[in-house]
Amino acid sequence: MTENTAVTTEQGPTSEPAVGDAPILETVGVTIRYGDTPAIRDVSLRIPERMITAIIGPSGCGKSTLLRQFNRMNDFIPDAGMDGQILYRGVDLYDRDVDPVEVRRRIGMVFQKPNPFPKTIFRNIAWGPVINGFKGDLNELVESALHKAALWDEVKDRLHDSALSLSGGQQQRLCIARALALQPEILLMDEPASALDPVSTARIEDLCFELKERYTIVIVTHNMQQAARVSDYTAFLDTGKLVEFGETNQVFTRPQHKRTEDYVSGRFG
Amino acid sequence: MSGILAAPKNLRRRRTQSAVFRWLCLSLTWLCLVLLAVLLVHATREGLPWLDWQFLTDFPSRFPERAGIRSALMGTLWVIGFTALFSIPFGVAAAIYLEEYAERTRVSSMIEVSIANLAGVPSIVYGILGLALFVRWLALGRSVLAGALTLSLMVLPVIIISSREAMRAVPGSIRRASYALGATKWQTVRHHVLPAALPGILTGTILALSRAIGETAPLIMIGALTYVAFVPQGPMDAFTALPIQIFNWVSRPQEDFHALAAAAIVVLLAVLLLMNAVAVIIRIRTQGPRS
Repeated sequence: MTENTAVTTEQGPTSEPAVGDAPILETVGVTIRYGDTPAIRDVSLRIPERMITAIIGPSGCGKSTLLRQFNRMNDFIPDAGMDGQILYRGVDLYDRDVDPVEVRRRIGMVFQKPNPFPKTIFRNIAWGPVINGFKGDLNELVESALHKAALWDEVKDRLHDSALSLSGGQQQRLCIARALALQPEILLMDEPASALDPVSTARIEDLCFELKERYTIVIVTHNMQQAARVSDYTAFLDTGKLVEFGETNQVFTRPQHKRTEDYVSGRFG
Repeated sequence: MSGILAAPKNLRRRRTQSAVFRWLCLSLTWLCLVLLAVLLVHATREGLPWLDWQFLTDFPSRFPERAGIRSALMGTLWVIGFTALFSIPFGVAAAIYLEEYAERTRVSSMIEVSIANLAGVPSIVYGILGLALFVRWLALGRSVLAGALTLSLMVLPVIIISSREAMRAVPGSIRRASYALGATKWQTVRHHVLPAALPGILTGTILALSRAIGETAPLIMIGALTYVAFVPQGPMDAFTALPIQIFNWVSRPQEDFHALAAAAIVVLLAVLLLMNAVAVIIRIRTQGPRS
């Protein structure tokens, strides 16, 4: 949070925050519907590279829906539809000749509840690269992914044990390692610590700090302290609309909107 | 002072209900097991004196002491082997398609309802279908192939339904994890859904084949022979099967043939138990690492 000084924020409900670098991910007037019910309305966001962007908001505000739209996981929901554009380095993710499988390889995801495969620790990590045609030293790849996820020291002697023998917090870090093994550019995290105890949560947050050196992280959380602690930018959503987006310390200390202020100070949600 | 934790009247009544229900379930379970045991003991006691190597290797005869089940046992193995060969790939493939690929349209829900209904169609109806379709129209005659195809049609709905149930029980979180790693649908199905569903698919398949192995009506309907003094050499040969042989012996007036039928029943049950054992072994082997 040191290098992003002197950023001026325009006023207005969906004001575009001035972000120094070119955004890696940009939504342009995105509306997402389930059937006829809109879950996200006209959201325009610019997510900067190698930063942590938090999406906060009360339950049902559509934050997870928006996140899943970034790696086309909403494709699996039969009646989900979208208007607007989501640009990844300027390329429309929903363009006709974009392959959703390739999108998901480049934009990794960590889910709310740890969901390791019922296989060994090693195979959990190696599987993704293998099916995507990885040719190289798998042992090296698995070790480096586990190092990045700060899990190596705890599991190095039992790589061929079942992943289900790990604790919840370890399983979640394994899922992060599994996503990192594909060398994605963006890591989407959908409330990654909500099923974990405070100690495991702190480790995941520390990990986020380390990972932003190399990756862009978008994290959905309903925990405002967590957003304030880990993120560089914060987007506040309410009933599907983007209320405010800006630098995290600004959103939390000098919110531009009454609604944001009420939410971050814990008056509702 | 009995204290605040003494059971109130209404709790005592609920406890009684709970206990009664438990005993009801337990006694019904035992009733089933005892009935099965009586059946087994009865068949074994009657058939055991006749059950020897000669019984397995001899062809049927009108003299009880020379009669055996060689042709029936071999016929059953031929037919059930081909039935498995036809019904498992088609059944599992149809289940994968319906569960993983098919979109929820009116057509697909019509297919679903039809399959559920087909599972309840009496086996004799499949026999009539087999007679018209395989024996006459495709001119396969009263062959092993015609019998296996008929039984395949009969067990397909059961295999499809149980395979779908097994795949549906695979948690969505596993599928999402797979897709989020850039897996295609086939990779997800092949590496995660099928292995996790395999125990369920196997159980359903073995149960369905067990039903087929004991079927008499459709085989008689398509004209399987009741007296066969040869072993089928290929899929186009005529055949008989264990349940037909049993039926044939039971309907004779002589006591000795009834004992022979009991012995054949024991063999049929042994084949069934063997199939189930194989399923259990595969299930344990494929379960993979667990915590």
